[in-house]
Amino acid sequence: MNIIVCIKQVPDVDDIKWTKENNLDRNNMLSKINPYDEYALNAAIKIKSRFKEAKVTVISMGPKQAQDVLNFALAKGANRAILLSDKAFAGSDTLATSKILAAAIKKYCPDFSLILTGQMAVDGDTQQVPLSLAQLLEIPEITNITEICNADKNVAIVSVKTDLKIDIYEINTPCLLALKTECEENYIPKIDDYIRAQNIPIEEYDINDIGINKEDVGVIGSPTMVYRAFRPEIHKDTKEIKEDITKKILDFLLKVDNK
Amino acid sequence: MKKILVYGELNSKDNTIEKVTFELLNKARRLSSEAKELKQDEEYIVEVVFCASYLVDDEINKAFKAGANRVVLIKDSVFDTFYSTVYADAFLEYFDKNPSDIILFPATPKGRLIAPRVTVQLDTGLVADCIEAEFVLKNDKLLFAPTRPTFGSELMATILSKKAPYCATIRKGVFKTDFSNAKTGEFVEYTPISYHEDRIKLIKTILNKDKNDVDFTNAKVVLCGGYGLYSNKSDEYYKKLKKLAKITDSFFGVTRKVVDFNLAEQKYQIGQTGSTVQAKLYVAFGVSGAIQHIQGMKNSKTIVAINTDENADIFKYSDYKIVADAKKVIDDLLIYFDIKI
Ligand SMILES: Cc1cc2nc3c(=O)[nH]c(=O)nc-3n(C[C@H](O)[C@H](O)[C@H](O)COP(=O)(O)OP(=O)(O)OC[C@H]3O[C@@H](n4cnc5c(N)ncnc54)[C@H](O)[C@@H]3O)c2cc1C
Repeated sequence: MNIIVCIKQVPDVDDIKWTKENNLDRNNMLSKINPYDEYALNAAIKIKSRFKEAKVTVISMGPKQAQDVLNFALAKGANRAILLSDKAFAGSDTLATSKILAAAIKKYCPDFSLILTGQMAVDGDTQQVPLSLAQLLEIPEITNITEICNADKNVAIVSVKTDLKIDIYEINTPCLLALKTECEENYIPKIDDYIRAQNIPIEEYDINDIGINKEDVGVIGSPTMVYRAFRPEIHKDTKEIKEDITKKILDFLLKVDNK
Repeated sequence: MKKILVYGELNSKDNTIEKVTFELLNKARRLSSEAKELKQDEEYIVEVVFCASYLVDDEINKAFKAGANRVVLIKDSVFDTFYSTVYADAFLEYFDKNPSDIILFPATPKGRLIAPRVTVQLDTGLVADCIEAEFVLKNDKLLFAPTRPTFGSELMATILSKKAPYCATIRKGVFKTDFSNAKTGEFVEYTPISYHEDRIKLIKTILNKDKNDVDFTNAKVVLCGGYGLYSNKSDEYYKKLKKLAKITDSFFGVTRKVVDFNLAEQKYQIGQTGSTVQAKLYVAFGVSGAIQHIQGMKNSKTIVAINTDENADIFKYSDYKIVADAKKVIDDLLIYFDIKI
């Protein structure tokens, strides 16, 4: 049973730095595995622990530095790591990214049962790549998963918990599952794990290896482009209330048309 | 004539139109007049498309009032259960025969599943989770330009697409509704021929008993507690604020940090990853004003913030600034009501 986990290296959004021109100062920002992808990875490793023949393959598209998150995933227990890296991929939007991932999966890991992803990436938060990938591979998906109850070669049972209800779904493989919350214990790799992981070379593929058209990737292959980026401006004429605070708040509360 | 298509969402219980659909229709109508102002020969009609087994006349009329020139029902009982593949395939089948230039999807759980499936098959772009949309005139061409928050909302990005149809998902609660459109239009039913059978089965639904629905859609007053109300390792002040909300017929809300520390349930969370509110009055008690939170409340009419830190970011977004201990303010307010009741 082959399980694929798609992971993304993201800047730490709690540590955003800006250049003078209001661009992201990526060079001076820390980067880490997208936290939602880590939920997916943990879930995959948990499934693997139940089946002797199960294998977890992690795939990341990104610059060479994305090796860091792949090594981290290997240390956590993944069996195989694939890095999709090429200058031509830079600037890929969600459609182009999904095409690259889909092409690579078809070529290097076509016999998968499950693809696990995070629900979103904290740096982009479009939530579009999992669905686009599922569409390109023509497989069904379940998103916003809060728990993978069971999964084997043929079928997965997952639950989606919201404030109102818990839906339990059965889905035939191959399929894509996007995780929204932490549902398995988060194992933090030890030095020994990293040493073991060193024995697994990261497979690296570029545009020619994957065999995808230049016209489909990167800036050229991305139908969307940023027209302008700005930091939200605020123009508020703020008045300060210094006295009779309780009374003034009461006035607000009682005077508002509250019907 | 060009066309803006709104992907309509219905309440799965009774097939009434969800408010977000009216919001998008109003926006689409405004976009259409904006286009005409910028470029005279540019005219867009507004079409709304629903996938459902039925749609009653009342709802159809509401859609016209909200701004639609054309209401389409893709009709099949298969839609009684939601599967993204089935919906997307049927929608595409219709769309192939009735193309439009722009598609607006709601950024709801369902909209977010359908939109990428549709746009991937159309091999076009999709701008996610937009909070604004406009036209820009560039080299004498009108371009559809939606804006979305990115990088945890630290940055706003206006995105253009190179290829039609131009597609975006739009957050609910960011645009107003308006039912003043006097003209009715054409109602069309379409029967899909082919759709994908799905490989998913809903095997069981369990009610999440300890949780009730909190729907901020019609909230007039919101009292929001931030992490600043946390004291003595207890949720005492969140309970007090909830009580105050109850007495004053207001809604109780919290920030994500409060949820993360298990001081209140997620359903009360306001912000980018919680609910969006458009209250008449929004009062923040001990909220710092992180941009992800601001996203969810900034369209409120009057914003009052109480914070001990006079430089707290929340004040930048507030109409009224109160530098004070929010806990004491809550206590004082409760005393007032205790006396009155
Ligand atoms: C991807 C992403 C999505 C997010 N989505 C959301 C979201 O949807 N909603 C959301 O709210 N957050 C969200 N966040 C988190 C957000 O960044 C902030 O961490 C969070 O909003 C902070 O909550 P807070 O203001 O309650 O806490 P803090 O930032 O800790 O602020 C507490 C405030 O209380 C004040 N204070 C302390 N004591 C008192 C007192 N006695 N009286 C008055 N004031 C006092 C302090 O001065 C401070 O300003 C998100 C973050 C990320 C990365």
